Amino acid sequence: MNEEYDVIVLGTGLTECILSGIMSVNGKKVLHMDRNSYYGGESASITPLEDLYKRFNLPGTPPESMGRGRDWNVDLIPKFLMANGQLVKMLLYTEVTRYLDFKVIEGSFVYKGGKIYKVPSTEAEALASSLMGLFEKRRFRKFLVYVANFDENDPRTFEGVDPKKTTMRDVYKKFDLGQDVIDFTGHALALYRTDDYLDQPCQETINRIKLYSESLARYGKSPYLYPLYGLGELPQGFARLSAIYGGTYMLNKPIEEIVIENGKVVGVKSEGEVARCKQLICDPSYVSDRVTKVGQVIRVICILSHPIKNTNDANSCQIIIPQNQVNRKSDIYVCMISSAHNVAAQGKYIAIASTTVETADPEKEIKPALDLLEPIEQKFVSISDLFAPTDLGTESQIFISRTYDATTHFETTCDDIKDIYKRMMGSEFDFEEMKRKKNDIYGEEEQQ
Amino acid sequence: MTSRGAARPNGQSQASKICQFKLVLLGESAVGKSSLVLRFVKGQFHEYQESTIGAAFLTQSVCLDDTTVKFEIWDTAGQERYHSLAPMYYRGAQAAIVVYDITNQETFARAKTWVKELQRQASPSIVIALAGNKADLASKRMVEYEEAQAYADDNSLLFMETSAKTAMNVNDLFLAIAKKLPKSEPQSTSGAAGRSRGVDLHEQSQQNKSQCCSN
Repeated sequence: MNEEYDVIVLGTGLTECILSGIMSVNGKKVLHMDRNSYYGGESASITPLEDLYKRFNLPGTPPESMGRGRDWNVDLIPKFLMANGQLVKMLLYTEVTRYLDFKVIEGSFVYKGGKIYKVPSTEAEALASSLMGLFEKRRFRKFLVYVANFDENDPRTFEGVDPKKTTMRDVYKKFDLGQDVIDFTGHALALYRTDDYLDQPCQETINRIKLYSESLARYGKSPYLYPLYGLGELPQGFARLSAIYGGTYMLNKPIEEIVIENGKVVGVKSEGEVARCKQLICDPSYVSDRVTKVGQVIRVICILSHPIKNTNDANSCQIIIPQNQVNRKSDIYVCMISSAHNVAAQGKYIAIASTTVETADPEKEIKPALDLLEPIEQKFVSISDLFAPTDLGTESQIFISRTYDATTHFETTCDDIKDIYKRMMGSEFDFEEMKRKKNDIYGEEEQQ
Repeated sequence: MTSRGAARPNGQSQASKICQFKLVLLGESAVGKSSLVLRFVKGQFHEYQESTIGAAFLTQSVCLDDTTVKFEIWDTAGQERYHSLAPMYYRGAQAAIVVYDITNQETFARAKTWVKELQRQASPSIVIALAGNKADLASKRMVEYEEAQAYADDNSLLFMETSAKTAMNVNDLFLAIAKKLPKSEPQSTSGAAGRSRGVDLHEQSQQNKSQCCSN
């Protein structure tokens, strides 16, 4: 290990593994280390179930009713992939899809007045939904058609709206949409966690709704995909990509020191040896003096023996509780998956409720979500700090990822990856950078 | 259902049934894992093979009577060197070749650890083959044939000594694995068998593209 590398990466979370893969594909010499004995860091899926009990300091071992411990792969951070989103694009360009299998999440629901409703996002669904009255439906349909035709490069589709100036509040007004419709459009389609977007220019919101509907159009049931065996498969897949392109992997490596000379990183010391590097990528846990706390998220992992009520017995779903509905500033999310995704024993369901912490009693904040899940067989509660870098790496050449936030998808993670890439390389990230650069398919499929 | 093709009267397709299996390679660095695959897949051997050949995807088929057994071969990509192989690697594998170097006793001990790991972690029905590679270097032998054979018998492993350099037993090893794999279950022809394949992201993206073009 006491060699010279272009890039050293610390931590094998998804962000680090994707960046490691991009760097290796582009010919950089990469050393990738993790202090843990497993891949994934915070984005790991914990297996067997016994390890989850240990991690949360629950007394004893899982009861017999939980089945075989090995059948469980429990995510610590609940997220889904938008079918038309950036992570899927990254998986396709790198062909990491070869290593993974995905299933479509069966439904997306929104909470209103104590009940949950299927999120309508197509004209047909909007017309059939019991979420709105008849006139409201017509106005919402007109709005959806407008969004579908909107093209930020074609002013003829704007209909008097200036995408960079008109606020989203004014666009809603233009279509005469009521508060309930605005609530689920902003939170269940555009997937905003707060209402801050209302007074921002509308372009971003319209593009988010487009992403949602285009993702939904891919597979029909919901806009979301989920990998079999859990989200922990994603970092492993990109780590394999990096390794195939020459990246060196070392797990179980205690990191003793990040060696700095004249304000710039020159290497990493582990077990008495120093590996030298020109640039360093790491998650916040390796550089506590260069990050700042930007918030807290509460996540409650719930094991159930039943599908969630009023979801048509879906084996997987998302439920969004918009902030307005429960007098909060940020939304509460529930992501549910089950044995159908090889993450739980037969007949078991894993529902993870999460939200941004707003008060001193976060468990009380998340209660409306847990009420939807009862009876809950076992709960695992975590409250984690969110960190963002204070050092952007311009001088130090240390590039620090952000903690995974409370959103239910990977779009912000991908934005972070693109941002780190730009700071490291000095140029905008281009998905083409991820395409495999050499002919590395041998045997019968070579010609394809 | 499984022998539908063979019943065709015109006999157009001889090997009618295609079974695809995921096969993983395990073993200490430099025992010749990549060389064995390169010999099997391309019929080549490089004396100074780089430590990982950087192959993302390796496929090769062998024919057995009316069945074509297609191996999707996973190379470690060097991740075994510092004991950092991801569990994803052997997830869903239906066959494994655990390789050691007959001139190095330590690699044989390490091979035994891999066999234990597979017995603990992999599918219970996995077919495991033990390969004593570098059989062409018999003068430097440190692991006796009988010792390895006895170990393989005790653990119900297929066993052969091989040489990627001379090609000795390389095809035979894959053929023996192919024979031992269960071929009764209907296999999908696309994607790895034995895994419940989910949605095909590629297919969908193409469909999407063609929709865009037709507009």
